[in-house]
Amino acid sequence: MTDARVLDADVGVVGAGPAGMVASARLAAAGLSVVVLDEGQRAGGQIFRQLPGGAPHPARGAEPPSHARGDTLLAAFADRDVTLRRGATVWDARPGRLWFEQDGASWLLRCRRIVLAPGAYDRCVPFPGWTLPGVVTAGALQVMVRGFGVVPGQRALVAGSGPLLLPTVTALTGAGVEVVAALEASSRWRALRALGGVLGNGGRRREAAWYARRLLGAGVRLRWGWTVFACEGDGRVQRAVIGKVDRDGRPRRDTARTIEVDVVGAGFGLVPSIELGLRLGCAARFVAARGGHCLVVDGAQRTSVPEVLAAGEICGVGGAEVAMAEGDVVAGTILHELRGIAPPAAAGRRAAAERRAADRLLAAFAPLPGLHELATPATIVCRCEDVTLQQARDAAALHGTSARAIKLGCRAGMGPCQARICGPSLQALAAGRPDQPMDLPVVQLPVRPVTTATILAAPAG
Amino acid sequence: MTADARGAVTFRFGGREVRGREGDTIAMALWAAGEPVLRRSSSLGAPRGLFCNMGVCYECLVAVDGRTVRACTTVVREGMQVEPGGRP
Repeated sequence: MTDARVLDADVGVVGAGPAGMVASARLAAAGLSVVVLDEGQRAGGQIFRQLPGGAPHPARGAEPPSHARGDTLLAAFADRDVTLRRGATVWDARPGRLWFEQDGASWLLRCRRIVLAPGAYDRCVPFPGWTLPGVVTAGALQVMVRGFGVVPGQRALVAGSGPLLLPTVTALTGAGVEVVAALEASSRWRALRALGGVLGNGGRRREAAWYARRLLGAGVRLRWGWTVFACEGDGRVQRAVIGKVDRDGRPRRDTARTIEVDVVGAGFGLVPSIELGLRLGCAARFVAARGGHCLVVDGAQRTSVPEVLAAGEICGVGGAEVAMAEGDVVAGTILHELRGIAPPAAAGRRAAAERRAADRLLAAFAPLPGLHELATPATIVCRCEDVTLQQARDAAALHGTSARAIKLGCRAGMGPCQARICGPSLQALAAGRPDQPMDLPVVQLPVRPVTTATILAAPAG
Repeated sequence: MTADARGAVTFRFGGREVRGREGDTIAMALWAAGEPVLRRSSSLGAPRGLFCNMGVCYECLVAVDGRTVRACTTVVREGMQVEPGGRP
């Protein structure tokens, strides 16, 4: 029975987004056996979302030009002899071994190389009312529209920071939702400095022009230097308080005004999903503009741990173009190591160029420390454990300002999300040190919550 | 928009009958049915619902046949009995 739950492959890939798909399609084309593990129901990751079969498809032109690459990539991926394991949650790893849960069964994948391409998730900044039903992440709204064809509401507020606010707004307007306000916390002045990263790159230039046309066509004006101060409602969101922020993101309370909405999407950039890398012992570093802690890789996308490679957002948030280019480098490295095929130098140069362009763009949207002043003492900071900012501050005062001390002092980060939601802001909020890098998260087993039965039934590596 | 060619899937949430569509997750079917509240929070008992919609935040926990699952990653099946969630 146990033997049936063990899989063998040349390469095990975590994540079927742009990086994982490019790497696995190329490796499979060269004759290597590849197993891809993904939590989603369909390949594509968060960016190249596929609707369920038979779901209503939006009119042509409702997606930005860069997403056309997703269609090509998904077709190439489907053509290759890649084993995609859907709904698979990887909960433990060591070099050459990935343990995962799928449909309630406990599996072990044994492989010669591990490729980590798990992507990223929305960065959350707590504000009063952010726990109300109807207040979701910006990414959640995109998944709703682009992944399931669900219309999120009638009157939406989109607030946060970074390039992903734009596809969130266009997904909503494309679904017929009125976007009452679209608020970018970063200042226009700061964004102008990023123009080099946009204008120097033809693809990004076309992309920016497409968004500008779509927003104009829908009558939505992106307001720079604005954000959501609070959400209110009886059991679900009905109103939002919005206003201007200063250059550091501090709310200017005198500018507050209330708008009526029935859905709110908030996203202040992305956070790389690095926990499997940390579990494997890969070296990480803190780069604020890339979303915080990310894995360190060399020019061949090798991590500090032998036989473990990484590509895309896990090496620092950079978007799909970076992810695809780095996925290509990963494939070249593995084919070199396992098959002796010399990797094309052009792939490495292209990935480095995409990374530089992304870094320039994202520098305009590095997290603003003043946004941590949105939360009041009574605001929930840890959603899983219902911990308020005051409780987290008390814990920091009593037990110390390390991430670990705060966690042990007030239970923040001990719930099922394992601090993925509160972690990126908890230490800054509780310890009052918004400008300093937070501590590297401590990864505990299971890396993702799975059933005890899965852990007990896990095949020995 | 093209027409929706998917079949209906009927399930129950907290005793109420809900019609979803094939391929929907529990969270998407309930959201489309106008039900954003999926559970009460652990210590304050405040209403909570879908938040990240990609399996990261565990805010959308519900119980299906006695098992705690994420409503945003679990696909609806005909006749499924879903109850508002508590803790895993």
